[in-house]
Amino acid sequence: MKSQMIDSTPGDVLSARAAYNERLARLADKTRAVWFPLAILVILLVLPLLQFVGNYNYMLHLVLLTASYVAMAAGWNILGGFAGYISLGHNVFFAIGGYFAGMILARFGISAIIMAPVAGLVAAAFGYAIGLITLRVRGPAFIISSIAMVMIARLLFDNWHFVGGANGVTLPAPNLSSQWAKLPYYYAMVAIAAVTVWSSYRIKHSKFGLGLRAISKDEIKAESAGIDTRFYKVTAFAISAFFIGMTGAVWGEYLTYIRPSIFLVILIAANMVLMCILGGKGTVAGPVIGAVLLVAFNEFFVAMMGASELNILGTGVIMAVMLMFFPLGIVGTLALKGKLPRILNWD
Amino acid sequence: MEQIIQVTILGIGLGGVFALMGSGLSLVFGVMRIVNLAHPSLIIAGAFTAYWGFRLWGIDPLVMLPVATLLLAAIGVLLYKIFFERNAKSATYSEMTVLLTFAIAMIIEGALGAMFSNTQRVTSPSYATDAFFLGDIFIPKGQLYAGMVSMLIIGLLAAFLKYSRLGYAIRATTQNRDAAALLGVNVNMVGLMSFAIGIGLAGAAGALTSFVFSFFPAKHWEWIAVLMSLVVMGGMGSIVGTVVASFGLSIVAAFVGAYVGSTWSTMTFFLALFLVLLFRPQGLFGEKPELL
Repeated sequence: MKSQMIDSTPGDVLSARAAYNERLARLADKTRAVWFPLAILVILLVLPLLQFVGNYNYMLHLVLLTASYVAMAAGWNILGGFAGYISLGHNVFFAIGGYFAGMILARFGISAIIMAPVAGLVAAAFGYAIGLITLRVRGPAFIISSIAMVMIARLLFDNWHFVGGANGVTLPAPNLSSQWAKLPYYYAMVAIAAVTVWSSYRIKHSKFGLGLRAISKDEIKAESAGIDTRFYKVTAFAISAFFIGMTGAVWGEYLTYIRPSIFLVILIAANMVLMCILGGKGTVAGPVIGAVLLVAFNEFFVAMMGASELNILGTGVIMAVMLMFFPLGIVGTLALKGKLPRILNWD
Repeated sequence: MEQIIQVTILGIGLGGVFALMGSGLSLVFGVMRIVNLAHPSLIIAGAFTAYWGFRLWGIDPLVMLPVATLLLAAIGVLLYKIFFERNAKSATYSEMTVLLTFAIAMIIEGALGAMFSNTQRVTSPSYATDAFFLGDIFIPKGQLYAGMVSMLIIGLLAAFLKYSRLGYAIRATTQNRDAAALLGVNVNMVGLMSFAIGIGLAGAAGALTSFVFSFFPAKHWEWIAVLMSLVVMGGMGSIVGTVVASFGLSIVAAFVGAYVGSTWSTMTFFLALFLVLLFRPQGLFGEKPELL
């Protein structure tokens, strides 16, 4: 054994390592099912054809809602899941995106769907600036500062007369028949959700994502290993704000009005956290599964009880149960036990 | 001049109530390292206790205060047993407990809202809307009584922490949990007791709140950041610091409300929270940066 090690040249070692890495990659490929998310996407893209044979507006609305939740949860996941910085204030960027695109629509008549990337960039710029301040602290202090961020934003938007204050602004509705009115928003939201999930996959497998994961494990060690933790964290904050801002832009026009009480309520921030915890923080598939489950659960509850108060109660109960018994979420827990079905392995 | 004195008095009145609200939160953080986001929702639960006592039987909120305290302390024991005892050894304990208390806050809000609906309420004993007049200056009786009772309770709490055996154990555990356990302090028992006391203080604060502010189940979100600013500014775990921060910030907020506009007075607390987190995360009286 000893002589063998002395005999081997650096070239041998490198080629052996390359072969080993390749084998690992092939193994990972074998357990991954790329076709499954793609198949879902194709189904979602052709789903509106049902409108030719009947009225499926409610179903389209549900898919649209789920897609918006997917985009928000996957966006939140980039900071909260990968970097481990739990924010309870990301609905601020939802509001910024919604208000920016909504005001452009109200003033200049440019559709929020076209403006969504710009709205996302505006939200990202705010995210970068806010991140520079709040990401100086971590753990509970960061969570507290994120709640304060929502409170400040709510106070500002409630009293900013240019954007209508607490009453908000009514946006012009699209002049499409009710049969087709949802379609532009449907496709926009599905596209945003798909791009967000794809981006979170790419981020997770990049050097940037590796750095973020190192930060979530131990920030001091990551720093001493040469990672520019401040830049990484703030960039992650800005990226997650970008996707949530885009979602907000489309959501505002879809609802045809923007108002602080739609965007800046803590339940929206709580839902983002809940979806990621439900599905699995730091995984690619987790936020998607969380969003689907949350929408299903909400619809069930509203249909059964019809009371928003019980909805809040139920959200809290699910969150507490998940945190206590399955802190890794559905995907994380199944993966830990080696029982994750192939179709859910998107990492 | 008179206006300045008047505004200061109103600020002190608010500060007294906030001090009691914050001290329970501070105690729980000091001993358990739990950032209890459910604290304001438990205060609302205490306020409802006093409210129904007054509405149904005409009992004065100040008389209902011990009832609310004991009821909430019992709820505290229950919450501790259900949620926190098993998790004390988890690696991501502090972050997880923040989310867990967030979930508890939603559970309490939802339960209160489902039972009592989300309308604005206020307990209205005769003194709630009355005031003493000293020349041109008036002192609202409700705030005066609430502030005095809250100072009395905080004084009792301070004496308890300073002189009683359990108080010693609580302070020892706050300073160094492991060392306290090594010296024979039953830290789990201390944790349970201090959690019960902290939540009991929320109940007491709720009873006082019920006639000082109008309240509804969803209102606790407005208070979370306010209370956090007091506790963070005072130095998490330092009750003296919380009291000082409460009075200081409440007076500043009263001035902002009087001279800038009443909508902006709560902004004082949020900005203070940001500034303290950024420039002095250990707070005014904290010794080391606990939260970092």
